[in-house]
Amino acid sequence: MNYPAWYLPNLGGGLLIAIISILHVVISHLAVGGGLFLVLTERKAIRTNNPALLEYVRKHTWFFLLLTMVFGGMSGVGIWFIISLVNPAATSSLIHTFVFGWAIEWVFFIGEIVALLIYHYRFGKMDHKPHMILGWLYFIFAWLSLFIINGILGFMLTPGDWMETGSFWDGFFNPSFLPALIFRTCIALIIAGVFGLVTGAWLKDADTRRQVFRQCARWMYVPLGVLVLTGIYYTRVISADSFQNLFHFNRESTPFITLLIISSVLLFGAGLLTLVKSSQFLQKLGALFLVLICFGWMSGFEYMREIARKPYVLYGHMYSNGISPEEMEALNAGGFLATAKWTEIKEVNAENVMNAGAEIFRLQCMTCHTLDGYNGVKNKSDKLTERGLEALLTGMGKVNSYMPPFAGTEEEKKAVAAWIYNEIQGKMTIPVGPYPADEFPLEIPPFDPDTSQYVLLVWNDLGMHCISDNEKYFSFLPPANTFNAQLFKRGPRPQLVTGGVSMEYAVEEGFRNPEKHSMFWEYDTRIFGVDLPEGQGLMGKGVTGTLEKQGAVYAAHFIPVLPYMDNGTYNPYPIFTITARDEDTGEVLAVTKAVAPTSTEMGCRNCHEGNWRWNSVSGIADQTAINILMAHDKYNGTTLLEDAENGQPALCQSCHADPAVMAPGKPGILNFSAAIHGFHANYLAGMDQDACTMCHPGRVEGNTSCFRGRHKEIGLGCTECHGTLEDHALSLLAHQADLDASRRLSRGLEPVFAYTKEEIKPRMPWLMEPDCRSCHTNFSIFEDGFSGTSFNIWAPGFEALYRNRTDNHGVMCIACHGSTHAVYGATNKYGLHRDNQQPLQYQGMAGTIGTHDQCALCHTVEMTANGHHRNMVNREFPAAVVE
Amino acid sequence: MYDSIIPTADSIPVHWLWFQVLLIVTFFIHMILMNFLLGGSLLTAWDFFTGKLEKKASGSIPTLVALTVNFGVPPLLFVQVLYGHFFYSSSVMLAVPWILVIPVLILAYYGAYVFVKQTDKAPVLSKLALVFTSLGLLGIAFMLVNNNTLALQPDRWGMYFQNPGGWNLNLGEPTLWSRYAHFVLAALAIGALGRAILYRYSKIGKKEKDRQIRRNLKIFAWITLLQFGVGTWFWLTMPADVWKSFMGGSLFATAMMVTGWIVALLILHSAFTGRFTAAMILGGIEVLVMVVVRDLARMAYLREIFHASQLENVGESSPLIAFLLVFAVGLFALYYMISLMFKAKTPQP
Repeated sequence: MNYPAWYLPNLGGGLLIAIISILHVVISHLAVGGGLFLVLTERKAIRTNNPALLEYVRKHTWFFLLLTMVFGGMSGVGIWFIISLVNPAATSSLIHTFVFGWAIEWVFFIGEIVALLIYHYRFGKMDHKPHMILGWLYFIFAWLSLFIINGILGFMLTPGDWMETGSFWDGFFNPSFLPALIFRTCIALIIAGVFGLVTGAWLKDADTRRQVFRQCARWMYVPLGVLVLTGIYYTRVISADSFQNLFHFNRESTPFITLLIISSVLLFGAGLLTLVKSSQFLQKLGALFLVLICFGWMSGFEYMREIARKPYVLYGHMYSNGISPEEMEALNAGGFLATAKWTEIKEVNAENVMNAGAEIFRLQCMTCHTLDGYNGVKNKSDKLTERGLEALLTGMGKVNSYMPPFAGTEEEKKAVAAWIYNEIQGKMTIPVGPYPADEFPLEIPPFDPDTSQYVLLVWNDLGMHCISDNEKYFSFLPPANTFNAQLFKRGPRPQLVTGGVSMEYAVEEGFRNPEKHSMFWEYDTRIFGVDLPEGQGLMGKGVTGTLEKQGAVYAAHFIPVLPYMDNGTYNPYPIFTITARDEDTGEVLAVTKAVAPTSTEMGCRNCHEGNWRWNSVSGIADQTAINILMAHDKYNGTTLLEDAENGQPALCQSCHADPAVMAPGKPGILNFSAAIHGFHANYLAGMDQDACTMCHPGRVEGNTSCFRGRHKEIGLGCTECHGTLEDHALSLLAHQADLDASRRLSRGLEPVFAYTKEEIKPRMPWLMEPDCRSCHTNFSIFEDGFSGTSFNIWAPGFEALYRNRTDNHGVMCIACHGSTHAVYGATNKYGLHRDNQQPLQYQGMAGTIGTHDQCALCHTVEMTANGHHRNMVNREFPAAVVE
Repeated sequence: MYDSIIPTADSIPVHWLWFQVLLIVTFFIHMILMNFLLGGSLLTAWDFFTGKLEKKASGSIPTLVALTVNFGVPPLLFVQVLYGHFFYSSSVMLAVPWILVIPVLILAYYGAYVFVKQTDKAPVLSKLALVFTSLGLLGIAFMLVNNNTLALQPDRWGMYFQNPGGWNLNLGEPTLWSRYAHFVLAALAIGALGRAILYRYSKIGKKEKDRQIRRNLKIFAWITLLQFGVGTWFWLTMPADVWKSFMGGSLFATAMMVTGWIVALLILHSAFTGRFTAAMILGGIEVLVMVVVRDLARMAYLREIFHASQLENVGESSPLIAFLLVFAVGLFALYYMISLMFKAKTPQP
């Protein structure tokens, strides 16, 4: 941002740094360990009066000089060159902070060069003692060079107290200084042994060759124990985030950990063969092989160190892209382009979206990414939609701290997403208009206030049941709608009928063959552990059946109704007819109708690509499901996609506990609601209720529009009750605050309806929900005047939930007020009064049962006092109804 | 326009003059070594192809590469401390040729060894290696000239927006060729002086020694004479306010320039007349004066934009003290190692 960016669309600066660095670090470690190897081998040759061994040292010195002084020295300058080209801001910071460290290192460098040149050119031409003094001096200078570089490299990973003091010494003698110094010294000794094999293998004399090989093996294996111990020590001094980036929740590290492990096994496994007698040809081959492995070995280690440092180039001080955390707030507010120096585009406008997106990407992302080459954005973004890319940018640096956060305004973020999607992926976002929902006719059952003896109230328990309908890949919500009913015998003192009756339900024509539209029955055994007859739900109910008595209600659980009609029409509000009969005589006591709201409008595809699965209208398509599983596997190291493709799809709640499906989950893992909301809240932050409808079927233009109750009519949204997605997620995560995953998911979230995270009260999903009385204090209504939110005011216990609560007479709140999200006075896009059938049937008025003092509906007479709760009769403002 | 793209500079730990002095001192040493190396290898190549190769002069090339690069590190470090925000920007603009300096340098270095080690065994390969090394070093010098001129001219940085891929050589720069010619000729002149010094202290016959010293001092003198013209060309291709600063615009700059001319005249006299010691000392003084003049020219280029005194000084002097101590110990160690070398005897069996 402060400096020009070198545009390398396919090669990438990161790859160039990696190539030069890996070549250099192997040789530079050889330069340190090899110095000790030379002088100690020389001493041994002199002490044992072994001219052949001394000659080996002389030849090895020449080989050593050519490698370390020429290639090592020059490639060291090369690293300086390449980092200043790829990340000039970080280079400048390192140069200015440690200028005298570098200057000291230069003094050691000149000492190395002079010592080695004299050691080489005067080999055999001076007394042994001064010659060996030169050898020792060389090693001391080389190790001191390592001492300095190690301090600066350590600073980049663990700046320690420097962050507060800015002191050179605090930065240099940082927390990883000592472990890294010992670790690298061990590496240097091991590499010296390996390279010693190369010149050793070319020795003509077999005895000397054997002697050299044995010595080299000692150099390889003696430091190994210390190396491993300091390696463990090393991982303990890096930050918790660095450790997580290395070993958890970041698949980017996997190839390099694997590389380190494999090359370690090969190096120290094949190294043992040096002790076995073999032909010189094999020895030569083996020596070269081990040298080659050294490069892989160092690549593994150095890459892991780099990954541990992410998303910073100077930990905590400067991100990989040269932006410092302190700059973020100003960049997000004032704009990245307006602040960046090296751009001709200073803002995003309607005409330049693509160019602006490309420019921001070039300046902010191309330190690490190419377009379609090394670490190319094309491959990394092809599983997301434009909206998904925008979400990805929002979530960068939060859940997975491997990448820095996006710096810039919302418009700039959108421009980058649009550019990647359109220009890099070559895809177009097709605007989707409002879903043309069919208005289905209603036939409301009759009710005669003079002759009818019973009032039957039936409701769905949730107001909307969603179905994840691609069981081929996974499931977390099976088709499972639940009806509850209460039957009242009318009279001045109405009776709640709890016995002597039977209740039947039957879905309307067109919805009677759910098995024809769902894979649920194909995968029920694998996912749910039961082999159900086709058309039957998890609790044994079909789309026709009976309600069973359960305390004060009659209920039918988990009816497997789908929104897919046999004629290919999508209708998320199938109507059921419920009939109550005298158990003995079979006489029909009451008949009513209710919708079983059920939707497959899951917005996964909004981000995870793919079309709708069912008739291009709704449901999770294969591509969407695959992309979701790939993302899950990538972050969590699972094999869900592979399992699913092998016919073994999983129930998400088999790991993530969930009261909704009565799944205990696995210990140490977030419950399902906490995991799914916690993860996505990081990516859909700052969107208010638009975040909710990205996934849930509540969009006004969508095929469901599930939020259709009275609350919608007065302008409320999801967040007034549930808080924003961030708030909602934080409350769920707080319930499992002791888990690492909870900390990881919540650290990037900022509460909206609370001042601090600490204020947010932990919440168990489904069992703890917003309390209606937080707004409806003393059962007042909107017109009475109140304001506020019910977020963070949870109903006191399971029985106090709206869907479970009763008055003092056992009448359930939901029976009269209607289902959650569809409280009476609802408006439904599939027919205005589809959710209001019972109010219309019993009182001819689409409002709460008994509204406008229609107490006679059950009581058969006018009532003058509040019976069920306060504020029922003689109220100042009558409750509104839908005409 | 270009003001807005000049990067913000980082703060420095001690007063800027420390870095200025360190820059001039270390750059002076680097220039001497670089001139010995580049001029020496070009002259050696000339000798090689004219059949006058003298191993005494050519054998030191690989060592000179090592020392030149090594002594190139501190001035590169200190120039980045003072002028990094200019230098990094120009480097990125010509990133491709700039990074190619490294592989070319490595190959040139190996080439120097091939040349030295294979002179007798494989003369053709040896010749090719020497040619490669010489051309490689000339190429590196050209990249340095490009980068250093571009770093001084933010008004030319707009070219980046047409080509952000790192291929922006500063070929439109008026001083490019005159500067390059001036520096390469200087390398030849000082390279010849270096060869004279080498022969002066080598153990060869007096007659041959005198002949070689005279010959190389003459080369030194003739090229210095040529530099009067090329130097003036370079001088006058600079922007007016820069070259005028050496003509009364700045008293100190003018004094340094005049000193440079006077020393050059004295060089002509001493070198043409074979006064070795005087030529050697004057040659050294001239390089130092030109290093200072070069720095004054840089300041004149950037006068309207930046001066190193504007850098924020955070005032942390203990690392400087540590460096000076280590430097003193390092100097002693160098002295000690070189004294060990000269005391060397052949080991007894």
